[in-house]
Amino acid sequence: MPDVRSLVVQSVLFGNAPREIVRAAEAVATSVKWARAEGLIGEWSLLLGDCSDVEVLDASHQADIRSLVLDQGGSFEYHVFGANLGSAAGHNALAPKAVSDLILILNPDAVVAPDAVEALARVVVGSVGIAEARQVPLEHPKDYEVATGNTSWASTACALTPRLAFDRVHGFDSKTFFLYCDDVDYSWQLRLAGYRVVYEPAARVFHDKRLTVTADWPASSAEVYFSAEAAIFLAHKYSRPDLVSKLVRQFRAEGTEVARKVVESFERRRSEGTLPLPVDSSHTVAQFIGGNYAVHRF
Amino acid sequence: MPSTVSEAVATVRTSSISGLVDHLLSEPAIDPRLASALHAVQEAIAEPVADGPFLSVLLRTQGRRLEPIKDALLCLAGQTSQDFEVIVIDHDSDPVGAAAVRKIIASQPASFGGRIRILEVKGGNRARPLNAGIHAATGRYIAVFDDDDLLFGNWVAEFERVAETSSGRLLRGVVAVQNVAPEKWPQAQEGFRTISWPKAAYPREFDQLAHFEVNYSPFMSWAFPRSLFVTYGLEFDEDLTVCEDWDMILRGSTMCGVDDVNALTAIYRRWEGGASSYTDHSKDSWAWSEARVWEKLDGSTLVLPSGSVTDVRWLLAGRGARNELNALVHSPAWRLARPLRGFVRAVRYGRALAGKARRRVRW
Repeated sequence: MPDVRSLVVQSVLFGNAPREIVRAAEAVATSVKWARAEGLIGEWSLLLGDCSDVEVLDASHQADIRSLVLDQGGSFEYHVFGANLGSAAGHNALAPKAVSDLILILNPDAVVAPDAVEALARVVVGSVGIAEARQVPLEHPKDYEVATGNTSWASTACALTPRLAFDRVHGFDSKTFFLYCDDVDYSWQLRLAGYRVVYEPAARVFHDKRLTVTADWPASSAEVYFSAEAAIFLAHKYSRPDLVSKLVRQFRAEGTEVARKVVESFERRRSEGTLPLPVDSSHTVAQFIGGNYAVHRF
Repeated sequence: MPSTVSEAVATVRTSSISGLVDHLLSEPAIDPRLASALHAVQEAIAEPVADGPFLSVLLRTQGRRLEPIKDALLCLAGQTSQDFEVIVIDHDSDPVGAAAVRKIIASQPASFGGRIRILEVKGGNRARPLNAGIHAATGRYIAVFDDDDLLFGNWVAEFERVAETSSGRLLRGVVAVQNVAPEKWPQAQEGFRTISWPKAAYPREFDQLAHFEVNYSPFMSWAFPRSLFVTYGLEFDEDLTVCEDWDMILRGSTMCGVDDVNALTAIYRRWEGGASSYTDHSKDSWAWSEARVWEKLDGSTLVLPSGSVTDVRWLLAGRGARNELNALVHSPAWRLARPLRGFVRAVRYGRALAGKARRRVRW
């Protein structure tokens, strides 16, 4: 049985509906309650960092959340950043604002299951650097080992990481990854540092993703841009110049406005000398498989 | 034949029965006594006012799928619209399963858990817990969501959106299918592994005639209007061992009509290697239930939706073509020409072989 550990739950807001934030806070407070009842979590707090132009939470909503957290023995802080930092920089900015053994990175509107925190806390022991909750209704297709849960990378829609591990890899690489693949990179940094990355299917979180009526993924323009940009930065950072060249050629051939901007962004960073230093030169952790960063089950 | 009632903002589509009454009343020479009686009928079948929430969700469980039911409840907790109640119907759970289900429900956040009730039902087929559920329900609509499926966050909200312009009609969303297989999870729970992307395997639009042949709409596709049970008095057929959903869908859709939601709102999990209604019941049980549903419908008077005559004529045209084809292949001329057809096939085969040989030589 792991020792009682302290926990900070942190979420980065950007233009969310206040009602959803209150609901998510109630869900996570309930989940922490049961983890505390099992002796897995002691002191805890909820930190929300707001990157919106207009503050998401008014005094009334803040009071509602504070009450929900206080009822479960926690404390609540609401930080207004006044700028769209992106999720990576937002979490990096929140992390030093509290002290804890564990950090739960959580999407602001994600609804965690009552036993999610307990399930994650049970597996984040020893060499585990991050444990990811299973998302419903759309489960990520990454493969994982049945017996151990070991996987290539962990999505941070809902993931528990020890603060020691977070600090050791200096948190998220927000200079390189604004919105996408910050979690892939964080996972691979942890694995390079000797930690395990695990998928915990018994920990579940409702992440409100939807499909088109034909069950296709409705990618937004921001998603298309930032995921393409992240793909090329990730290939560069993990010592795959061959893949960088291939992606640049591919994007140039596509000729779309988005593809052109992605290539421009990469070339600009390269000429400025602001690209990250390549790591994992022997390719021990990074996986680039058909545009994915892990073997997929489907 | 749905009728329409003009309102200030939007046109509301009413039930097929209401449409039929409207149609009868539109005859200029109708007997005043019949007209009066029909007006009384209109009043009686008007959608009952419900004090309860928009939707009552009936969630059947036998306490055997503890990890999937946690997913199911989380999907409800995550709905954009929370205007619903949940009636968990514990049907013949053993004491261990029943206690586990109660513990899971007790662990939910207060704002959600406060809207969950538990009914305990003993004995009977799959329909018995549903009838207990509809008697306990207080919502304007009633939906059935089994304990091993998934909902997108828009499931309730999309029903609500379409209900704004629908009265007394069944609402039907689109459901995807996803394959899962039983698996022991790392912490030893009886879990499962998702092994396919959700596939939109069911038709986007409801086809009444196609549903006479087979059920193309999983249970959680549907929101049934309260009037179906309260006013018309329909109950799930407790003699059926399976197909209780198809039976209610057919009886309800022919009586009230259907409005399509036209959004993907749920995922039906198809179990590979685990227990499901397909493995729990024999082929004979399925055949008997299907025949019973069919026979009951065959023995009743149906109101078909507008457009059905065109569909029936198209089907009949197909039947005519099939008959002609059948007559042709059984005709003396066809039999006499058999050697000639064999010769033609042999020539074609010979040409194909020669072509292959030529290509090999060329490469």
